[in-house]
Amino acid sequence: MNRPPPDAFAQELAALLAQCSLKNSNSFNKLYHLTSAKLYGVALRILRRQDWAEEVLQECYVNIWNHAGNYAPAKSAPLTWMTSIVRNRCLDWLRRPHTETTGEEYEIAVEAWQDDAPGPMEQLMASAEAAALARCLQQLEAKQRQSIMLAFFNGLSHTELAGHMKQPLGTVKTWVRRGLERLKSCLGAAT
Amino acid sequence: MASYKNPQLRDRLAAEYVLGTLRGRARERFDALLRSDYELRRTVATWEARLSPLAAAAGEIAPPARVWQSIARQISGSASIESRAGLSFWRGLAVASTAFALLLATFIGMAPRPEPPMAMVAVMNDDKGQPALVVSWPPMKEMRDPHIRVKVVQQHPEMAPGTAWEMWMLPGGKAAPVSMGLIGIDRDQVMKIKPALAQRMGDAWGIAMSVEPAGGSPTGVPTGPVIFKGQCVKIL
Repeated sequence: MNRPPPDAFAQELAALLAQCSLKNSNSFNKLYHLTSAKLYGVALRILRRQDWAEEVLQECYVNIWNHAGNYAPAKSAPLTWMTSIVRNRCLDWLRRPHTETTGEEYEIAVEAWQDDAPGPMEQLMASAEAAALARCLQQLEAKQRQSIMLAFFNGLSHTELAGHMKQPLGTVKTWVRRGLERLKSCLGAAT
Repeated sequence: MASYKNPQLRDRLAAEYVLGTLRGRARERFDALLRSDYELRRTVATWEARLSPLAAAAGEIAPPARVWQSIARQISGSASIESRAGLSFWRGLAVASTAFALLLATFIGMAPRPEPPMAMVAVMNDDKGQPALVVSWPPMKEMRDPHIRVKVVQQHPEMAPGTAWEMWMLPGGKAAPVSMGLIGIDRDQVMKIKPALAQRMGDAWGIAMSVEPAGGSPTGVPTGPVIFKGQCVKIL
């Protein structure tokens, strides 16, 4: 990938967001081209349906355009801010009653996340800012890691996790909770 | 529901909110709480920062081109014409042109012609702020076949072969421009408009003219440079 290192990239996105708040649509176009493949990947993983992912992506970019002025560089990195908008919208979307998933759709995505699958973990390690997170994830117990990744990437709820991992709901909830606690202390518990 | 004051519980809920396992009513309550609880928003932001690198590993997939087209259409009311046209679209849409429009409207209204009085008028300026076209229309309710009148104020530009001039009603706010149709090169012409559009003309914020491929914009939004634009002034 022919991109500047993360810090320069974050600075560029922040500058583009500032221009968007002034309704500079050229900057918005550039922002879209720099970020849409990432955010579409995030949405597609969670929603598992192209039409839904497209719709959510559209809504989110229009929101980003309308609320670019709310982005506060001191509080979060631009891509984190944008990713959270997309993830939250995806989770809202899954809350709708008619979007029940059958459980079969995410098999493919899960396969890619088997513990020994090199692809995504390598990708994670390759990003400097993510190396710490990857290291901490690897220190978790396998079940904790797997449930956290399935929840984060594929938008699985506790119930779906329990169904997928063929474990009681309470067990899965504990894996998630303990996994998050350990991640926090591993990453440094600064709040 | 348990107390939201317990710091451990707050941190756990924030973590599960960001992870996505906080669902249903619990998520709704949490969302509501976030709006008023600054500290909780900070806790959420911290968890977002912790977990967001994971999102980078989701893999990049370029969305289909139609996604951007739809976004561009939705934001075009607020700015995209500017970027497409490469003109400072709203430049010169200020007090001066409004004053000029009012003057001109008085003149049009007093013209000794058997025309219904004008309800609205827009003086469309070129990119140097010079008036180029005057668009006006009577109260649409009183017309059986709704139309607008387009008059050339100065020298008309040349229409390049294979291009067309398309008129756009700008509803204002964030709404996208609405096509009014194509105009010709006559210095004084009447342009019929669709009844559905006629009903909205009373709320028009501005009018713009763009250069499009022959036959008009293929996308339903301005695709070529906007060469004239002006703000509407209500007369009646």
